Amino acid sequence: MLSIVFHKRRRLVRRLFFNHEQIRTMSRVKRRTTHPPYWHVLKNVQRGDEKISSDNLRFVREVIQDKYKNKSPIKGSDLDIEKTEWDPKTKRSGVIARNIGVQHMWEKDGKKVICTVLHVLDNHVIRYVPPEEYAKSIIGAKVFRNRKPLGCLVVGAEAANPDRFTKQYCSLFNEVGLLPKKRLARFIVTPNAALPPCTPLTAGHFVIGQAVDVYGKTIDYGFQGVVKRWGFKGGPASHGATKFHRRGGTIGTGRDKARVWPGQKMPGHMGSEKRFCRGLKIVRINMKYNVIYVKGTVPGPTNSIVQIFDTLLPRRKFTEAPPHPTYFPPEDGTLPQEDIWDSNLHVFGSPSISV
Amino acid sequence: MLRRAVLQTFRQGLAQSFFKRNAVSLSETTVTHQTVETSDEGGEKFVSTQKTGDESGNTVIVAPPEFRFMYPEFLPDPAMETRNRLKEKLERMDMLQRRSVIEIPEFYTGSVMAVTVSDANSPNKFARFVGICIQRGGSGLRAWFILRNVVEKQGVEILYEMYCPLIQKIEVLRLERRLDESLLYLRDALPEYSTFPLDMEPERRLNNLVVPINPLKVKLRPRPWLERWERQNLQGVEDLNLPQRFYDKAEKVAKPWEKYDLMLHYRKTIPAEEQEKIFAEVQSQLQQQELKRKMRRRRGSDNEQ
Repeated sequence: MLSIVFHKRRRLVRRLFFNHEQIRTMSRVKRRTTHPPYWHVLKNVQRGDEKISSDNLRFVREVIQDKYKNKSPIKGSDLDIEKTEWDPKTKRSGVIARNIGVQHMWEKDGKKVICTVLHVLDNHVIRYVPPEEYAKSIIGAKVFRNRKPLGCLVVGAEAANPDRFTKQYCSLFNEVGLLPKKRLARFIVTPNAALPPCTPLTAGHFVIGQAVDVYGKTIDYGFQGVVKRWGFKGGPASHGATKFHRRGGTIGTGRDKARVWPGQKMPGHMGSEKRFCRGLKIVRINMKYNVIYVKGTVPGPTNSIVQIFDTLLPRRKFTEAPPHPTYFPPEDGTLPQEDIWDSNLHVFGSPSISV
Repeated sequence: MLRRAVLQTFRQGLAQSFFKRNAVSLSETTVTHQTVETSDEGGEKFVSTQKTGDESGNTVIVAPPEFRFMYPEFLPDPAMETRNRLKEKLERMDMLQRRSVIEIPEFYTGSVMAVTVSDANSPNKFARFVGICIQRGGSGLRAWFILRNVVEKQGVEILYEMYCPLIQKIEVLRLERRLDESLLYLRDALPEYSTFPLDMEPERRLNNLVVPINPLKVKLRPRPWLERWERQNLQGVEDLNLPQRFYDKAEKVAKPWEKYDLMLHYRKTIPAEEQEKIFAEVQSQLQQQELKRKMRRRRGSDNEQ
């Protein structure tokens, strides 16, 4: 099986001569960190044993309510969005969602389909950074080193009590007048798909039948042995094997280079890495509960947060215009269809399938 | 399943619902219950919603306690890491939608059932299988049950997913329970205990209020067996007649302390309060569906007459 090693700087793909050959190369890039980057503002307040009286607590809550009640997010129809045209090269915003589980559904020919249920949280656009400005930032400079720069949309999800966050973190949301969000994400967008702050993003942002990429942190398996982590075969279970059942075996020859090469597959921490699942098809959208059903599985355990984008796979991109730049409820007040199903999927309320 | 629930409230309901359909009270302390039971001419039972009064005096709709035996797949998987209230609610809505199209009757392990499935490879495009339910499991739309029968001296087991839309009809030919929750030992029993005629007619029950427990003790074939039945505390098998060493080893391997482990049982079951909430949510729709079916059946029998 061809194994491909991804580096942050460059892609390395080498043809293997036999099945069990490993790619051992310089890989000094750290795969995961437990701390955020140094330029992030401190988010959570380190609370000690605060002895606030109940009266004061009530007062604090009233202050928060007063602060945020007048500045309610602007509804979609009131925003003055320039009517931009969609073209196939447009990159739309993504959405922050929670993976709430897996549900089995059936297609019209009786075939079972495993669908992941993604709950689109209360997303609001916090800020739009135009391309020129974003290209000057640290990450932007790296991403657009040899490319034409694109804009960046900062989207937040899951509003929470400002009490639990630091002042610097809440200040990120002050311009917009929103309750501070627990989760923030950046989405690279073309300038024609820019959205003004306070725009809500819902499940209607997506279209039935479209392909999406889901980006999330994989399940944390902890420190794992070589059999589970790399798929090694280990040793025989019986026939006299002495203490060699799930071990790695040899880690190098004595001849070339005469040392263990970097990148040698060994036991270690497995999982808890940010990964993409590309090209997943949307089979059902529930507008009332803001829930998307996606065919297949996504990285991460149940109840973890993921980001959903329009796919970058060239053959599964949009041919027709999607809701651009995002979905807005119709101005005449008609409610959208609550539960939209893919044409291939069997609706549960419809009669049984006769093959 | 709350079989060994230690909660005082549920033990009372449990004992009553095993032997009687109308549970009189869920708890003896503050809540008062009134069960209104009306029976029609056909002797069919109809249990209306129990209305309880809580401390403030407002009526709260509570489903009868036997719902957790009749519809166990509405309860979610107890594993806390994978639970999400919104997803369970959406799944329940889908289950009710499917139940509005097809009747999924009440059945237990030990009931004889017939399932008609749409099959492209069958001569009539429909395949009907009759068998005894030896096991049921899964929660939500993944709920399944296994039917076993012996066809031309060959034991056959088929696993059916209850909410699969290929299923056209599920009939319960004989509704009864056995002494065990899982009848997998029928695989090692004499074939006559698993044989049921494929053209079996549905049997009418004498007493619609009670689901009878068949105290049949099954005879097993001589060893070797598929599992160590002597280690499983089976009630529904005859004396295994094994040498004493088997029972000694079973005692050594047994975990008698598990019946005192409260946390183990707590983690394996959904708490009573949550069960009540879940069934209160779905019970009105389920009862409406049952009513509609009864009307349709009565209209059908009237038309025949």
